[in-house]
Amino acid sequence: MALVEISNVHKSFGEVEVLRGIDLTVEKGEIVTIIGRSGSGKSTLLRCINGLEQINGGEIKVAGELVHSRSTDLRKLREHVGIVFQQFNLFPHMTVARNITLAPVLTGKIAKGDAARELARKVLAQVGLEEKIDAYPGQLSGGQQQRVAIARCLAMSPYLMLFDEVTSALDPELVGEVLKVMEDLATQGMTMILVTHEMNFARNVASKLVFMHAGMVHEEGRPADLFANPATPELANFISSVR
Amino acid sequence: MRGFTISDFLTMLAAVQWTATLVVLALAFGAPLALLLARMCTGRSRIARLVATGILQLVQGVPVLGLLMFFYFGMPVFLGIKVPALVSVGAAFTIFTAAFLGEIWRGGIQAVHVAQGEAAACLGLTRWQTFRHVIAPQAFRIALPATVGFLVQLIKNTSLASVVGFVELARAGQLASAATFQPLLSYACVAAIYFALCFPLTLWSRSLEDKLNGAR
Amino acid sequence: MLQLNFNQLWRYQDEFLHGMSLTLLLTLVATVAGLAIGLAGAAAAGSRFAALRLLVRSYVEVIRNTPALIQLFLIFFVLPYAGLRLPPVYAAATALSIYMGAYATEIIRGGLASIPRSQVEAGQCLGLTRWQVFRHVILPPALRNIYPSITSQIVLLLLGTSLASQVSAPELFHAAAFVESRTFRSFEVYAVVCAIYFTLVLAFRLAFAGIGRIAFRWPTGR
Repeated sequence: MALVEISNVHKSFGEVEVLRGIDLTVEKGEIVTIIGRSGSGKSTLLRCINGLEQINGGEIKVAGELVHSRSTDLRKLREHVGIVFQQFNLFPHMTVARNITLAPVLTGKIAKGDAARELARKVLAQVGLEEKIDAYPGQLSGGQQQRVAIARCLAMSPYLMLFDEVTSALDPELVGEVLKVMEDLATQGMTMILVTHEMNFARNVASKLVFMHAGMVHEEGRPADLFANPATPELANFISSVR
Repeated sequence: MRGFTISDFLTMLAAVQWTATLVVLALAFGAPLALLLARMCTGRSRIARLVATGILQLVQGVPVLGLLMFFYFGMPVFLGIKVPALVSVGAAFTIFTAAFLGEIWRGGIQAVHVAQGEAAACLGLTRWQTFRHVIAPQAFRIALPATVGFLVQLIKNTSLASVVGFVELARAGQLASAATFQPLLSYACVAAIYFALCFPLTLWSRSLEDKLNGAR
Repeated sequence: MLQLNFNQLWRYQDEFLHGMSLTLLLTLVATVAGLAIGLAGAAAAGSRFAALRLLVRSYVEVIRNTPALIQLFLIFFVLPYAGLRLPPVYAAATALSIYMGAYATEIIRGGLASIPRSQVEAGQCLGLTRWQVFRHVILPPALRNIYPSITSQIVLLLLGTSLASQVSAPELFHAAAFVESRTFRSFEVYAVVCAIYFTLVLAFRLAFAGIGRIAFRWPTGR
């Protein structure tokens, strides 16, 4: 059974149909990169996977459980599906440690106090920011904030992580440090779905590349194949435009 | 004792002219003072800033009722002559307007000042030219919603003039209440008239605010 | 021409002190009750029921667009009709609470709305319940956003308690009228009363600034 099974998903915002029948499966341990022009529905698809958006047709299963079903406890599901946003969305009024441990403590995964602090230290080490444990988000650079956001996700020990254009809001010189953390995660076997404009990452790290166009999966396959031999003029155009 | 009739209501409506008179007086004398205070607060002279800020803080730190009494009893003491209630009440609301509008306009000027002032200085404008052509028009736009909002405060606060016996809308309501023994009806009518005066201004202020935020 | 005489007023220290304590008590009661009304009002303003939203809207607009003095008179005269013969202080406290509640509703509603939707989503995505999101993610920054407006509204309320004198509640301004009737030093009495109010306002502002600095330490911006 695949970890994520998306079949024939439709999604509209008012009159506009953003997703027009998406089919996609993601196996455990896969790193799937979704590329495409803005407005092609990439981010919407990602937000549908953890139930941030409702869908109008089709179904999405994560670990065999239907995401958009009344009987599904979305809250429980989200404890295992982490998402990192373009704008970091750290809580400005909490220290880094508190940002990280808030959810594990409140959902009863871990006790308050020393254990929580130990957890914060552990995941911060994974993103290389142990020394910032008592800083506030407002005191960090964009790249550091995004790494903390990734650490916050890791603290929930998710089996799937979603990345929504996580480097798009960063100054160019800060992109590298975030991509490095994501590469490390990839080598450790984390299942990841990313929406990104970083073509080098898509080419070198991803195990599967998905090109979305006009609300559909236009092409998918191994990154090396798709970059070398795009089957459709849309993908060929896209590749040459971002190069 | 007599019943509450339509003529009581008409008397109240007529009293609105005295409420309006107070508002116009307060604005006519208070607005120039407010502009002066706002400019002093944002000017270069330290002493002027200190004095103006002090006046703003002082007036905003006492009840309007206190301000009224201060002028009502103070003007005869200081001037040595009896003055009509309209003068002392008008003076109190002038000072009230000067302080609160001054605060609003100071905020408006400061919102524009820093970045734009430097740009204008680079263009070789004098300080007055900078204020007149660069800062004032933008500050006016920024401060307009709050200025209209202040009008509502002013109108509502003129009701306090009734305390020293000045016959405006609120006082007319008190008189009607005393004459008819219908306090509820009397004050409800007064409240309705105030609402009819203030609510359109509130809506206007809000739409100006939305426009300002939308334009940003 | 100037014949100011403050000496006689010293004998009335007690009257001023009593008045001042009632002024502070009225401020405290109306602040607490007003904030409670404001919280409920802000919650109702975001309700699913259109009728409830309309009710809150009307309450806020009516209170904010009519003079507090008239509201006070209305309440003062309404209560007996409802069978409540209460001392003037209670009527004043009720009116001031209702008044404060309308402003607090508007301020709190705005403060909650100022928290970006993305913060709520981030909380949801970490598996937090609705209440946990409200308590830990929305509330603290919202409190910081509304703190300046709420505290200046409390200062305005402090000054506004002077209206209670008009229904004979024996607060500071009423004490002034009493002393005036005994001494006939009208101007001096009101000058002193204004000075007392100003000192109270100054103390309030300083206290609020200090509390704000302690309560909200996290850096803003970015």
